[in-house]
Amino acid sequence: MSDKPIFEQLNSAIIAGDKIGLEKLVGDALKEGITPSDIIEEGMSPSMKEVGERFARYEIYLPEMMMAAEAWEGAMQILEPKLLESGGERKKAGRVVIGTVKGDIHSIGKNIVGALLKMSGFEVFDLGVDVAASAFVTKAEEVGADIIAASALMSTTIPQQKSIIEHLEARGARSKYCVLVGGGSTSQEWADSIGADGYGRTAGDAATLALKAVAQK
Amino acid sequence: MISFWTVVERALSGPICTERDFELSIFVPNLRKTVEKYGIKYDPQNPVPSDDDLADRVWQAGIEFLIETGVYCVDTERRILFSREEIEGALASGPRGRVFGEGRDARVMPRRFPEDTTLPWCSVGPTSSPLSSELHYLNLVKAHAENPLGDGITIPCLTTVDGHPIVGGSPLGIEGAIRAVLLTREGMRRAGRPGMPIVNGVTTAARAQEHIAASHFGIRQTDALEIGTIHEMKVDFDTMNKVAYSLAAGNLIFAENGVILGGLAGGPAGVAVVTAAYNPVDLLLLRGAIQHPFPTHFDLGVTSARDTLWPRSVANQAITRNSSLPVVNVGYSAAGPMTKMLFYEHCAWVIASVVSGGSVEVGASARGTALDYTSPVEPLLASEVAHAVVGMSRREANGIVRALLEKYESQLREPPIGQKYQECCDPVTGKPKPEFIELYREVRREMSDQFGIRLTSASPYI
Repeated sequence: MSDKPIFEQLNSAIIAGDKIGLEKLVGDALKEGITPSDIIEEGMSPSMKEVGERFARYEIYLPEMMMAAEAWEGAMQILEPKLLESGGERKKAGRVVIGTVKGDIHSIGKNIVGALLKMSGFEVFDLGVDVAASAFVTKAEEVGADIIAASALMSTTIPQQKSIIEHLEARGARSKYCVLVGGGSTSQEWADSIGADGYGRTAGDAATLALKAVAQK
Repeated sequence: MISFWTVVERALSGPICTERDFELSIFVPNLRKTVEKYGIKYDPQNPVPSDDDLADRVWQAGIEFLIETGVYCVDTERRILFSREEIEGALASGPRGRVFGEGRDARVMPRRFPEDTTLPWCSVGPTSSPLSSELHYLNLVKAHAENPLGDGITIPCLTTVDGHPIVGGSPLGIEGAIRAVLLTREGMRRAGRPGMPIVNGVTTAARAQEHIAASHFGIRQTDALEIGTIHEMKVDFDTMNKVAYSLAAGNLIFAENGVILGGLAGGPAGVAVVTAAYNPVDLLLLRGAIQHPFPTHFDLGVTSARDTLWPRSVANQAITRNSSLPVVNVGYSAAGPMTKMLFYEHCAWVIASVVSGGSVEVGASARGTALDYTSPVEPLLASEVAHAVVGMSRREANGIVRALLEKYESQLREPPIGQKYQECCDPVTGKPKPEFIELYREVRREMSDQFGIRLTSASPYI
């Protein structure tokens, strides 16, 4: 075991995206009697914030964020049952269902937004690409989402974002979810015209909007 | 070269892996390893490097990365792998200078080298930019076709059909794609250039069926169908269906690779290596007659940023020194029409491309996404600059590009949006406003007086 304090090691493992190393360190920390909530708050959350900040400064990119998020999720699978056993619960920023709309297979922008949302403390349900409007709604209902985030790159696929809102209205569920739209061909004007709740031009905008949306809920 | 059908067979029988494992357990570690092994380092001070050794190391890294990584087929969740011998065979037998266009408008798409004195190919047009009306579409195509330096047309995207928004994959997608081709042909005819080639057929088409339908309404064998890989190093059956159709129909293919800076390829060094690695993929899988690279910034949505110009220049040098497949770079600039910034951005990426061995496709404004924010005036100057800088040394070009970057890079995040086509040009006649022509002349003088770029007198606005 390293001489470095355990919290420092945990944070370093997150930044390195070292999933296996982080899981081992979490096990070690639990054996030392450190509480799950201290492991999360002091050993993992600061580095997740730092990963997001480094990304914003273009010091790291999508792979580093995806690996940090995977490491976090692996550790949380160990920690969450322990938290529940001790009567605690992890405070999440909210739940987001995210995907690229029907007919569109562009994933990078959506993946960056998904990773940034995880960094910001959201639980993210990624439906992938070429996702039917109804699938966004069904998943949001299933997981009790706060936000539906729909990405579309092409001018011929952005109408599918409108379709998601129409499906929500058809199910009488429009008011339950904040719908955020983004992607190359979208704009604030477009978001307003289809009745979306927010538009993010960049991935960073999307994370900020999501935090604002859950705060206002 | 192995056949396309051998590649299809590999998509159906290659090693199985999940998309997540392809991305994070294969693509990313392989790329990091090759970038480090070949010592590829981004140099922000020199957006147009003059280092042949660096270019060749990027090429070697790209080939090694491709051999170890392969291409991922998302429909079968399998990797399509290529051996070094197969890649070398493709490079040895790949297409060289093809003829595009017909009759008086036929032109050879040249293979070029860094600092080459051969004139670059210039495709001109709104480059996939969305347009609100068929009248604007027609007039813009006509105006671009009147550019005397334009060798081919890069067409915009129609967004509505008879007032109905086009929905990709629906019958409106089919009709929109067909109408886009018909309008383009008519616009070129009105300009007196009926044989001019379309180089990005068919941008309004999202799916293979739309692509194929539109091809039956005016796409010729001397046009190019634009077919792209998925970010990064991925392909799906829809893309492969377009290739299968194009091969059967005898169409030329523009193989498109817009590697995302900040995406799976990471920073500028990784983007350069992946762009080089796409060259054999474009031969073997997309069966391209052209490689069409445009490293794009994940956050700014442009190709004119410093950290996208460097990988563009380096990858161009790597590819053109080692492969005979001609390179045509496209650019997405941040500013909108009738702004000085748009002229500067277009000129910067055009210069970086041409002195690094590429030809150009100019060009998209307002990131190529804002409805109607496009004009034929800036691409005209950019094509003049493309012709004027042939034979220029990379060192001299580097100095000019740095000076241009200083003029605009601080505004890339919040660029001036400028004016819509129908505001900066007469929507009926298509003529630019007098003040727009004056702005064009002013920047033209600046290019000559400040940077010593001697422009031709072919411009209709002089």
